[in-house]
Amino acid sequence: MNDQDIRIFITMARRYFEALEPDPSLVIEPPFLREELGPLLEYTGIISVSGRSKGAVCFTANGAMLEQILALLHDERRGDAAKRDLVGEIANTLSGNAREEFGSDFLISVPSVMVGPRRSADFHSGERNYAIPLNWRSETAYLLIGLD
Amino acid sequence: MKFLIVDDSSVVRLAIERDLETGQIAEIDQAADGVEAVRLYEEKKHDVITLDITMPRMDGLTCLDNLLNINPEAKILIISALRDRPTALLALKRGASGFLCKPINPDELREAIELLLND
Repeated sequence: MNDQDIRIFITMARRYFEALEPDPSLVIEPPFLREELGPLLEYTGIISVSGRSKGAVCFTANGAMLEQILALLHDERRGDAAKRDLVGEIANTLSGNAREEFGSDFLISVPSVMVGPRRSADFHSGERNYAIPLNWRSETAYLLIGLD
Repeated sequence: MKFLIVDDSSVVRLAIERDLETGQIAEIDQAADGVEAVRLYEEKKHDVITLDITMPRMDGLTCLDNLLNINPEAKILIISALRDRPTALLALKRGASGFLCKPINPDELREAIELLLND
């Protein structure tokens, strides 16, 4: 992963929030490197990546942000199952959209979901782990990129 | 008109169902993977199907082949997060009627369905 690759993920995240609402109050802070993938918030959608790159792409958010996204999608559910489903779908959308730039050899798995403050060591990540803070409506989520 | 929505995400299935709420559609079924989709389609022969690609048990492209084996005239709109051109071309070559990328734009979805129905 290089800076250009990380910019691709930033573009995909911005595009996702712009699809939710026309003028999103999204502030994307500069990415930072961590020894292991994180931070992990209440809900984490995990996509395993193989092919062109190996590792994982995750979207992690607290329930409060996910509830606001469900509301924008006119989904009346606010329970755990809907939030798990949504966080996995966001991870899937962001990583699948990245194939526009990375190509069809950027192979992604179906999403798996972790709930609660687990360690990222529970799943495979890459050698360099980036966290991209996404500030939206007073909440912060992270797009986590751990790819070789 | 009978409609089948195939996606492993219930959030996406409900969003598509809501976006399609028109008087034209008499019945909407949902399936969470390709296996369930094929079973439902064999039973009901829906007029239009929206189909995700990345799903457990049976992926969307395999499901596409199975649905077209049952009915080569099936109208199937792929709705996938996989935004690369080769995947879209592959799906169309294998018989999909259209391809939309997630995140779903409701106007684009309705327009694509209209095109399918008028085809």
